[in-house]
Amino acid sequence: MNLSLLSSGGVTSAGLGPDAITAPWPVTATHSHGGVPVQAGLIEQKDPSLLRWQKEPRLRRASPITYFMIEAVEQALQGAPHLDRGRTGVVASFFLGCLVYSVRFYRQITEEGRRFASPVLFPETVFNSPLSHVVATLGLGGPVYSQIGDKTCWASALRTAQCWLANGDCDHVIVLAAEEFDPHEVDALHSGGLLRGGLQPCEGAIALLLGPSANGPAIGAIADGYDFRTRREGLEAAERCLAEFAPHTPLLDTATAWTRTSAATIGRSIIGPKAVPTEGFTLSAAADTMRALDIVASGQSPEVIVPVWGLTRHVAAYRVTA
Amino acid sequence: MSATPTPQIAITGLGCVTALGADATSTWEALHAGRSARGPLTAIVVDGCRVTEGAEASLPSWPSWPEKRLRRLSRSTRLALPAVRQALSEARLLDANDRCLLPRLEMSVSTTACGMEKGEEFLRALWSKTRTGQSARVAQYQSQAQTGAIHDLFGFDGPVMTVANACAGGGNAIGHAADLIRSGMTDIVLTGGYEALSELVFTGFDGLQSLAPEACRPFDRGRRGLLLGEGAAFLVLENADRARARGANILGYLAGYGQTTDTHHLTQPAPDGAPLERAMRRALEQGRISASDVGYVNAHGTGTPFNDGAEAQAFHRVFGAGQTKLSSTKAALGHTLGAAGAIEAVLCLLALKSGQLPPQINLLDPEPLVAKALVGHGEKADLSAAMSVNLGFGGSNAAVLFTRA
Repeated sequence: MNLSLLSSGGVTSAGLGPDAITAPWPVTATHSHGGVPVQAGLIEQKDPSLLRWQKEPRLRRASPITYFMIEAVEQALQGAPHLDRGRTGVVASFFLGCLVYSVRFYRQITEEGRRFASPVLFPETVFNSPLSHVVATLGLGGPVYSQIGDKTCWASALRTAQCWLANGDCDHVIVLAAEEFDPHEVDALHSGGLLRGGLQPCEGAIALLLGPSANGPAIGAIADGYDFRTRREGLEAAERCLAEFAPHTPLLDTATAWTRTSAATIGRSIIGPKAVPTEGFTLSAAADTMRALDIVASGQSPEVIVPVWGLTRHVAAYRVTA
Repeated sequence: MSATPTPQIAITGLGCVTALGADATSTWEALHAGRSARGPLTAIVVDGCRVTEGAEASLPSWPSWPEKRLRRLSRSTRLALPAVRQALSEARLLDANDRCLLPRLEMSVSTTACGMEKGEEFLRALWSKTRTGQSARVAQYQSQAQTGAIHDLFGFDGPVMTVANACAGGGNAIGHAADLIRSGMTDIVLTGGYEALSELVFTGFDGLQSLAPEACRPFDRGRRGLLLGEGAAFLVLENADRARARGANILGYLAGYGQTTDTHHLTQPAPDGAPLERAMRRALEQGRISASDVGYVNAHGTGTPFNDGAEAQAFHRVFGAGQTKLSSTKAALGHTLGAAGAIEAVLCLLALKSGQLPPQINLLDPEPLVAKALVGHGEKADLSAAMSVNLGFGGSNAAVLFTRA
C-alpha cells in the first residue's frame, strides 16, 4: 500500500505552517548542561495560533505538546477541507512523549509529598492523552494509536497507516510526530552520549495527511526493525536494512549525532544534505519524509531511500518514489 | 480494500506472569480458587498515599542470566521476558537454547509506563546530583529497551510497534497484530503487553482517589475503586494456514477486533457506554459472530464507579441479560494497565479451552443491569466464543473476539 500526501501541518522553531517543516529549524534558546551550553530549537508558545487552543474547555490543562499537535493536525485538515473526518485515523509517534508534565508531576511527588501531587496533572502525563484531546476537539472518528519508541517509531507509524488503509479501516490517516522539550532532556541526552557533535534538540509537531496513492509522489516499501546495541552494530543494522532496497537508489541524508559517522561509511550516493545538526527525533523523521517527497516531486531523483536512524536501538528505511 | 480472502488468525502460543502466578497455569488455578493478589507493596514506596496496597508480582528468576545483568533491567522487562518465553515455547518457536527459530519476528506490544522506575531513578539521581549510572537508567527507561531485551535474549529482531493507548493498549496491540496478518503485511506476530508498578503511576491513581481502600469490587454497587497491579502476557498470532502447515498447536482463533475513541472526557467514559458498545459490535461484525454466540466476556471492570457503570450499560445493550457471562479478573489480579488486555486475552483463551469461567470475586451487591451475567464460583459453560474488553484514559476502547480451536 503506497501512501500519498494530501496535505501537511507543522509547528517547529521555524514557525507555524507547512513551510516550517522543511525550513531550517533555528535555535531559539540555550540550556546549560554541567556548564556546557546546549542550543535548542523551541516553540514560541505565546504564538496566538497556539494560544487559541487554550480556549477549548478540554484543553485548558493540556501539556505543551498537545497544543503543538492540535495546531499541526488542524493545519493538515485545513489543507483538505472535504475530508470525511469520521473516516480519518490518526497515529502519533513519540520518542519522549509528555515530558514536561511527567517531570513536573514526579517533582511534586518527591518534593511536596505523595499526597500533594496534583491529581489533574497525572492524566496529562499519559502518552495518549494529547492525541485523545486532538481527536476529541477536531472530531476525528477513525482508528487512533499513540506509538512510542526510538526515532524509528515514525517509520512504524507510517506502516500502521499502510495497514489501516490496506484493510479499509479508514479512508485517510494523519501520521503525526510530536516532541516537547524539557531541560532534563539535556541531561538524558548527555547521559546517552547523544550530545557529542553539537546535537541541538528541537520540539514541535508535524502532521502528514496521507491517503492511498493513485499517482504522483508516494511513500512505498518500509523496512523496519533492524536492531543494534552498539554503534558498530548500528552500521551493520543499517547495511542489513538498506539491502532491502536497490543499491543504486540514492539515500536521503538523515543522520545526526553519532550516526553521521556510520552513514558516511555506507557506500551509497547521498542526496539532500542536512544543513544544521538539529534533532527533533520523530519530528526530524517526519521532516525527512517531507524532504524526500519534495526531492522526488522536483525531479531531482525519481526515487530516494529514507533511512531512519533510531539513535538508540533500531534502524528503518523506506522508499519514496515520484 | 484487500481483494484476497481474509486469512483466519490462529493463536499458537501464550504465556503470562501475574501477581497470582509466574505462568498461565498457576494464574488460572489461583483465579479459580477465588484468590486475590491484594497485599502490601514492597516493589515501590507508597508511604503517604491514601491507599498502600496493590497486586505485586514476584519477579521470576532467570537461571541462564546472571543476577547482576538482571538487576540492570527494568522491572517491566523482567516481567515480560518469562511471558515471552512461555508463548514462544508453546508455539514451538524456541530451540533447545531458548533462541527463537525465526531470525525475524514482528512484535506488536503495549505498555503505558515502559521502565518507569528507571526514569524515576534518573530524575532522583539528577536532583541529588548523583551522576553514577545515569546512562544505564536512561537506556532502560524507554520502551525500546524492553522490546530490545526480548530481541537480545531470544535472538531475533524485526519490526516493533509499541502502542501506548493507556489501559486499552493490550487489546489494541493484539488487534493490531491481527490487522497486520489480515493486511498480508506479515503472517506471524508476537504480541502482548507488560507493566510494572511504579511510584509515579501509583501515586497518580491514588491522587485521583481511584484506588480501592479495601477489596476491589467490580460491578458491585458498593465499588470504591481499582486495585493497581503488574504483570505481562504475550501471545503468538499466526496466519492459520501457516500454523497448520508447520504443525503448530492451535489454541484458538482471533475472530474480530473493534476499537473506538470515546471523546466524552479524558479519564471518564461516556456514561451510556456507547463508544464501548461500538467497539464490541465492530469486533462481532468483523468476526461474523452474533452476540448470542459469545458465551463469556472478560470485562475491563476496574471497580471504579464510572467505568463499571458505563461498561454495564454497553454490555447489557449488546449481550442482553443473562445468556452471556461476565466477569472482571482485575479484582483478583489487579489492573495491569498496558498489560491488562493481553493478560485478559490469555484468560479468554483458557476459558474457551477449558469451559471454566473466571469467577467474579468480592461481589456483595451486584449491579442490577449485569447481576445475572456475573460469573459465580465454579461456573462452567460450553463456550464457542469469548470477548475481552478494555477501556483506557484518553477514551481508548478495544474489544477482541476469540473463538475456540
